[in-house]
Amino acid sequence: MIGNSGPLSTLAVFVIVLTTLFLLLNQNWRWSITALVIQYLAVFVLTAQVWPFGLAAAKLVAGWMAGAVLSASQPPAQPAVEDQGWGATFVFRLLAAVLVWILAFTLSPMVVNIIPLSPSLVTGTVLLIGMGLLHLGMTTRPMRVLAGLLTTLSGFELIYAAVESSVLVAGLQAVVTLGLSLVGAYLLETSADKEGAA
Amino acid sequence: MSAPLIWIVFPMAAGLLFWLFRQRVGLVTLLSTILCLLLALLALLLPVDQRVVIGPLRFTVGPTLDFVGRRLVLDNGDKVFLAFFYIICAFWFAGSYAARASVLIIPLGLGIASLLIAALAVEPFLYAALLVEMAVLLSVPLLVEPGKPVGRGVLRFLIFQTLAMPFILLAGWALGGVEANPSNQTLVTLATVFLGLGFAFWLAVFPFYTWIPMLTEESSPYVSVFLILVLQTVNLLLGLRFLENFGWLRSMPGLFPVLSQIGTLMIVTAGLWAVFQKDLARLVGYGVIVETGFSILAVSLASQVGRQLFTSMFLPRVIGFGLWALSLAILLRDSRSARFEHVEGLLQQMPFATAGLAVASLSLGGLPLLAEFPIRHVVLEGVSRQSLLNGLWALAGSMGILFSAFRGLAVLSRGRLFPQVYSETRLQIGLLLAGMVCLIVIGIFPQAFSSLLTGLISVGSTFP
Repeated sequence: MIGNSGPLSTLAVFVIVLTTLFLLLNQNWRWSITALVIQYLAVFVLTAQVWPFGLAAAKLVAGWMAGAVLSASQPPAQPAVEDQGWGATFVFRLLAAVLVWILAFTLSPMVVNIIPLSPSLVTGTVLLIGMGLLHLGMTTRPMRVLAGLLTTLSGFELIYAAVESSVLVAGLQAVVTLGLSLVGAYLLETSADKEGAA
Repeated sequence: MSAPLIWIVFPMAAGLLFWLFRQRVGLVTLLSTILCLLLALLALLLPVDQRVVIGPLRFTVGPTLDFVGRRLVLDNGDKVFLAFFYIICAFWFAGSYAARASVLIIPLGLGIASLLIAALAVEPFLYAALLVEMAVLLSVPLLVEPGKPVGRGVLRFLIFQTLAMPFILLAGWALGGVEANPSNQTLVTLATVFLGLGFAFWLAVFPFYTWIPMLTEESSPYVSVFLILVLQTVNLLLGLRFLENFGWLRSMPGLFPVLSQIGTLMIVTAGLWAVFQKDLARLVGYGVIVETGFSILAVSLASQVGRQLFTSMFLPRVIGFGLWALSLAILLRDSRSARFEHVEGLLQQMPFATAGLAVASLSLGGLPLLAEFPIRHVVLEGVSRQSLLNGLWALAGSMGILFSAFRGLAVLSRGRLFPQVYSETRLQIGLLLAGMVCLIVIGIFPQAFSSLLTGLISVGSTFP
């Protein structure tokens, strides 16, 4: 267990803010997967506050493997698809993300009052869930839906780790993370609509 | 030897084996159907936790299987459910050949069935959420055929079913806290909210049911209806188990009226949308939603009668949706889509499939003398005693499915004149006739069949 290491946890929350925003705004799959991989590192840092190092590392490994599976299933040469009116979309998504940040930072102290946990862990959780749900609500592309689902699940796993430290649950959650990435890989591979991979 | 080994591990291993031989469609269909019927028969005949003597062979089938510190438990109380579940699988696998469904339905279907039975058998029950999620993940390759674009229905199915898992896990944690400290109102509220959201996603409660008609439209209706049916069956039983295990939840003053409202809302909205549909595949999706709504209404009666009605619905539901999905798969074989303009006049080419679709949809719409009518009648009567308004709304929703069924029939029987060449095979005709006869016989003699599934669930017995 890393313990309530303040600066590291704050840094992890800051990283989550950046990566979730990047995942929402960026259209390039390589950068999106990189952001997802960095996000799992931040989740690992926050999980290590409440779980033993080895167990928390399982989440990191599962997340990185999920990223690897998703990147392996991308089409070999794929131009970055820029939607029409991308400027307006960008501004809209940014504003929506700002709203989620406000909500997350306002809501976190209330959640801490109900479930007494480390504030950084709760903020990280609410941010991941909020941004993940926002992402899910804004896309119908398999790759982006998978990124949204993995982000949302990371948030839930973070708070669940604080209340339940069963090794089997951790293992099964890792299986679900990997399963989701494999399903994503299947959807990307089988889809005739290669635009969906963007 | 243990019961989970027979009804969970063995079918999963068989699924793997069938996957290896998936190219030999006929053989795999035959073997898997025989296997499922055998498993159903074993569930009915083989006693659990008692010495069995067959000639020189003596053995005892234990009820538990330890798995990394957790237990899978299947006892005598689960035997009727196991038999019923494997009969559903046999029924669907046998029809998959006639419906020309994806061959993956058999290996993956067995894997999904095993995981769902494990979800009902696992102790502590919070692991059920993870097992159901694995079954959901396993079902995606069945819903998206290679080379076809990924539809929004599949993505929504994946999103909503996946979102249910963390809520159920968190509900499990909160429920544990409530058991330890019943006076903690915060935990009670949290448990109720998490559980409510988890089951709302799982059971595709209004407004989270949009993926069902989308899925039946985008994917093969035969496959999608099978998946929705097995998932909903297990999720409904898990819901009832939660109610059974937590007395405080059952005694919450607002719970059953809220369930009644939810069930009514599902029936009314789905019935209303069904009236405006112009796609036969989407109609079956709305039929599924209405049926789930009636199951929730039966539970909301909070009585032994409600529990009996809940179990009695399973048989006509499975046969009805099986027949509906098979008929639809046969009708859509050569059609561009299931939209009304593409299926006009198919009655002339496929009279048995059209008749099967008519009987199934009318039965699930609650037409008198068909299988669902006697149960719907009693459910509506019970609901009306509690709230006349809810009863009337539910009746109106049910009428919506009936209306759309008649409309679909009118479309199938009008329009173009084809040469009188029937394109149904003997196997298809046989299966369709068997389904129709079953629905009519159950509708005429409901008493003879209502007791068949009385022991389907060992839960819910504490209802007043």
